[in-house]
Amino acid sequence: MAPKKDPKAAPAKKAEPAPAPAPAPAPEPAPAAPAAPAVDLSAVKIEFSADQVEDYREAFGLFDRVGDNKVAYNQIADIMRALGQNPTNKEVTKLLGNPSHDDMANKRVEFEAFLPMLQTIINSPNKAQFEDYVEGLRVFDKEGNGTVMGAELRIVLSTLGEKMNEAEIDALMAGQEDENGCVNYEAFVKHIMSV
Amino acid sequence: MGCGVSKSNHFHKHSKKGNTIRAAVLIQRWYRQYVARTEMRRRYTWNIFQSIEYSGEQAQIKLYNFLGYLMDNFTPSSSERNLISHIFRENDICRDAEWERYFCYKNIDVPEVYSGPHLTFPLTVDQVVGLLEAFRNKKQLHSRYVLQLLLETWKLLRMLPNINRIATCHSKEITICGDLHGQLEDLLLIFYKNGMPSLEKPYVFNGDFVDRGKDSIEILLILFSCLLVYPCDVYLNRGNHEDHIINLRYGFTKEVLTKYKIHGKRILKLLQKIFSWLPLATVIDQKVLVLHGGISDTTDLSLLAKLNRHSYVSALRPPKKKNQISTPTSIDMDDDVWNTNKLYLRRASLTYPKPIGTRDCFHNRSLQDFSGRIKVNDGDEQGSPRRTPNQFHSTATKSEKDTLSVSNESVSSDGANEEWRQILDLLWSDPMTQNGCIPNEVRGGGCYWGPDITEDFLNRHNLQLIIRSHECKQEGYEFCHNRKVLTLFSASNYYDVGSNRGAYVKLGPDLVPYVIQYQASSMTRELTARQSIGRTERSALKVLREQLFAHKSDLICAFKTFDSENTGLVSLNDWASAVESVMHLNLPWRMLRCQLVSCKNSEAINYYEWFNELAIKEPNADHIEQSLLETLYRHRSTLETIFRIVDTDNSGFITMEDFRQTWKLLSVYLKMEITDEAISDLAVTIDSNHDGSIDIDEFMEAFRLTDKKSRLERGRSMFMGTGTDLTKLEGDPNI
Repeated sequence: MAPKKDPKAAPAKKAEPAPAPAPAPAPEPAPAAPAAPAVDLSAVKIEFSADQVEDYREAFGLFDRVGDNKVAYNQIADIMRALGQNPTNKEVTKLLGNPSHDDMANKRVEFEAFLPMLQTIINSPNKAQFEDYVEGLRVFDKEGNGTVMGAELRIVLSTLGEKMNEAEIDALMAGQEDENGCVNYEAFVKHIMSV
Repeated sequence: MGCGVSKSNHFHKHSKKGNTIRAAVLIQRWYRQYVARTEMRRRYTWNIFQSIEYSGEQAQIKLYNFLGYLMDNFTPSSSERNLISHIFRENDICRDAEWERYFCYKNIDVPEVYSGPHLTFPLTVDQVVGLLEAFRNKKQLHSRYVLQLLLETWKLLRMLPNINRIATCHSKEITICGDLHGQLEDLLLIFYKNGMPSLEKPYVFNGDFVDRGKDSIEILLILFSCLLVYPCDVYLNRGNHEDHIINLRYGFTKEVLTKYKIHGKRILKLLQKIFSWLPLATVIDQKVLVLHGGISDTTDLSLLAKLNRHSYVSALRPPKKKNQISTPTSIDMDDDVWNTNKLYLRRASLTYPKPIGTRDCFHNRSLQDFSGRIKVNDGDEQGSPRRTPNQFHSTATKSEKDTLSVSNESVSSDGANEEWRQILDLLWSDPMTQNGCIPNEVRGGGCYWGPDITEDFLNRHNLQLIIRSHECKQEGYEFCHNRKVLTLFSASNYYDVGSNRGAYVKLGPDLVPYVIQYQASSMTRELTARQSIGRTERSALKVLREQLFAHKSDLICAFKTFDSENTGLVSLNDWASAVESVMHLNLPWRMLRCQLVSCKNSEAINYYEWFNELAIKEPNADHIEQSLLETLYRHRSTLETIFRIVDTDNSGFITMEDFRQTWKLLSVYLKMEITDEAISDLAVTIDSNHDGSIDIDEFMEAFRLTDKKSRLERGRSMFMGTGTDLTKLEGDPNI
């Protein structure tokens, strides 16, 4: 559960032996599928059952707002999450070949190209359990009494890692802080894992 | 882990920093997953509501087409025709003097006990404020004042052009509101946030003031009174729901008749007239076009500006032709005669001559039951073949293109039909992302138009923006077509509490739209986002389960086609295909499967068991045949609509005889056999006092499906909250 400490370790997580990821962004004029990705998607073996593929196709369709059977780059992470995966934005950006900001908004991916990306993420051994979350939050438990300061959580979430904005943090913390501004983190984790 | 580390100097120890970052990322990743999954739930919940709403609109149009067909084909004296002819009758009072007599409110006394507002004309601002206050306090305006107000409104509307043209003077901002649909709370909220209409605060209201919500008449009265007080600063556009045919199904008719038991019918008749006099569109500073639905590839503002808008009482109904090309001999010579060609126009989506899918085409049904009643014409009416049942039968098998090409010739020469088509497009169309212009078969009227059409239209008319409504949007508004089209929807919580926000737009001289969003209902504020999505989702699923149950026989048939060995099991894939083939709602069934079927076995679904699980409580009706019951569930709305049509004096009761006739009508429409016995059985259920008349509301209530499951469902803990939250919602009968 310590991938983020070592950026170089990240590609090694992925199923196939990726060559050293080309740090230069690769926004060549390629059609929808990422042409020179940091990860070699064409080498990914799809291991989904037919049923699973149909499930994913349905979810994919739900996110297609345009009606061209494709979704934008900046939706890929969300679709994967909707399907129960938990990639970081960084992982997904890497999968897409580190596209530019414009590309993220404008380029589109079709379902067949999406499948290997999803497979890659599924293959990565990065599943967090209840205990992992609790451990993570215990870091902030200064007094060791099972609570963390809501304010501190907010600062951390907005300044570290893949930063959240104020609205996101508000939504996350809604109803979690008691009158002293403290959060019982085991309850918090139960809450966030209940969906 | 690039981003935040360099900025954060909070933590000294490397390992602690690592832990912190790890924890942060963990929570952030979880959160984003939660948001994505919630978004997905929201989308399919939305799809459920929207599919059902649009299929209802489509059903209404089909019903109307069917009734029109009957009008054309039944002999004048037939009782079926008499049942329904009145909704096709043009307003028979033509002259203004007669209308004023019909409006006459002077004979209506206002009793002493009346505690609502008293109006004197000409209206003043204070009175409008008083009216708002009264409605806020759930008071009802007396019918005398309603009629008087409507009279004054009509007089004013008649003087307005088809297309309002207004200007933002150097400092005035114009406020534009979208669909309100009888939701008084939203209108009050808008006035509260934005101020009431006044000389300094002009407003445009973009149609669909009525139907679905429970305070449609109050909204109309407020809007009309504002119009009367500030005729140069309040602009009303007609919407597709300002239409008495649509009102029959979507609740406005019922609301008025319930609130105004004595004069309701007259009020409705006057409103028919008033709706037809509502302007069709508004243009601001010659650059921004505001209209309710949208445009098509043929929309022509100059044509729209010139036509007689009040001829189109219902947008669903083509204008009657005064001069027919060939005079039919035996066709009814009543004023409400239909042109032959209308049949073909109606067959397709109302604007475009494209055939409706054959599966629903009632023409395919043989009409032996009614063959005796169908007229036989001797003369050849423009090659129209639909005269005898046999000929008609063969028409159904002929390519519809042939018949349509016949009608098209005479249609194209008829300017009135072109006008009608333009109005229909204006009120019913929706934008799409692809280029082009195709019939809007989902709603059954108008078209879908693409960005290229927008571009072309704006250029041709030298405009820069189209503001329209007609479609519910989660945020209350949505831009499309390169931000050249703005959809604006002002009825928040439209599908259910928490489903969407409402919005209005302010437009200053720079003509840059400034959107303000809101959400009415105190209940929404108390729910977290998660709770409200859960609530809406449960509501949608409840509706969906009832729909599924109502289609039980058809679904079982469909399942059986996949289950040739009769094992009672179907695979998940087959289940999804079968369900879609019956329901035609274009929903993500696989995704919904877990909500609809208990996921014991992920390989196969036992479909018989599934129906048992659906836990729909059926009414106590053992003596009634199963398929008839299903018809009742499935076509509730249609049946109720026909009842209301048949109930000509709007008493809420119809005679046994009319009840029988209604069922016969329905049986033809739905292509099913319903025996007299079965009908009697139905009547017996409800006519408990045997006096020969049926209470419509009681009848509809007796055959309502209720979803037992929604009360018991805790499921995947759709909402989390403190204990108090849960109990608050538990008592809510709406859940």
